[in-house]
Amino acid sequence: MITLQQQQEFQSLVGGHKKILYKICNSYCRNRDDREDLAQEIVVQLWRSFGTFDERVRFSTWMYRIGLNVAISFYRKETARTRYILSDDGQLLNAVDETAYQSSEIQALHQFIATLDPLDKALVLLYLDGNSYLEMADVLGVSETNVATKISRMKQRMRQELSGSTRG
Amino acid sequence: MFDLDEMKEVWAAHDEKLEQCIGLNRELLNSATLSKAHSATQRLTWTLGLEAAVWFVIIVCLGSFITHHAGTLRLSLSAAALDVYAIAMLAATIRQVVALGKIDYSRPVTAIQKQLEMLRVLRIRITQRALLGGTVVWAPFLIVTARAFLGLDIVNGPWLWANVAFGLCLIPLAVWISKAFGERMGRFPFMQRVMNDLAGRNLNAASEFIAKLSGFEAEVHS
Repeated sequence: MITLQQQQEFQSLVGGHKKILYKICNSYCRNRDDREDLAQEIVVQLWRSFGTFDERVRFSTWMYRIGLNVAISFYRKETARTRYILSDDGQLLNAVDETAYQSSEIQALHQFIATLDPLDKALVLLYLDGNSYLEMADVLGVSETNVATKISRMKQRMRQELSGSTRG
Repeated sequence: MFDLDEMKEVWAAHDEKLEQCIGLNRELLNSATLSKAHSATQRLTWTLGLEAAVWFVIIVCLGSFITHHAGTLRLSLSAAALDVYAIAMLAATIRQVVALGKIDYSRPVTAIQKQLEMLRVLRIRITQRALLGGTVVWAPFLIVTARAFLGLDIVNGPWLWANVAFGLCLIPLAVWISKAFGERMGRFPFMQRVMNDLAGRNLNAASEFIAKLSGFEAEVHS
């Protein structure tokens, strides 16, 4: 049973980490409606798991795990999604004129992320958000050295693909 | 600037702007709204729970039919064949509900994705077996329903064998139709999913993703 205090704590924690929610949704869905659906699906899953949240774990790590797990499943669904979760009218996540505040570099980065498979997307997202290799390993469930090797390869790939795309 | 580390700085600067640009509707984050909402996993659990209940009722009805027609071997054997099918379906459904209940989204990504993909493989195999098995139990199904609802005894040798043969011929036909037309069924997502399950496409995709997950988990050296 979740108390009023826990509910307030949940609202404050999710509110304080809304950028994680936004960035995951933005990386896994290109379409605005899908992004909203995914945001709602993640929040519902966060709420369902909140009762078992272990405070020894950082909230951001916990939120990344749930958010990425839901996003990858959402991305891989074979059938069309049912559109109803929290509300028909109110939007959970609003971003004002997204492209207006995105520099060309950020747009190029988004385009690069869009080409990655769902696991690599998670890796790059965690890296760009400034997580340590240990934290990334913890969220993804792989070893720290594995993360380091993958990031090194990703750097190479990014250099090749983005410089290739500007030449082409 | 195409270096991931340099991009990290651009990303951090962008991150600061995001704080002002994103609005989170906190009214939707209250207990009443969230408790009413159902995640995809919950919806699936309920659907499977309902499916299990329906199979259970069918098993009970078939049990009663067998008891009432114990003296007529052709009727009781037909009902017993259907019962075996229904029990297998109930067991498979319960297996899925249990597997779904074990999923904890707050565990590491690779572990949960592997668990979800194994569940998808299980679901695909169940769909395949249900459809293929369904073509075989088609004849007993007609016999039992004709007797139970219309009071008719439609069993006779040639009729039965013709229906069994029809059911068996339907298997390769259904697989061929699914392979040929499954991809074009985009307007009917459920139908498309079933056809892709039957054609083996979804199973291939699931196996590929499991292999990708294992590759992702494995230690790599540059």
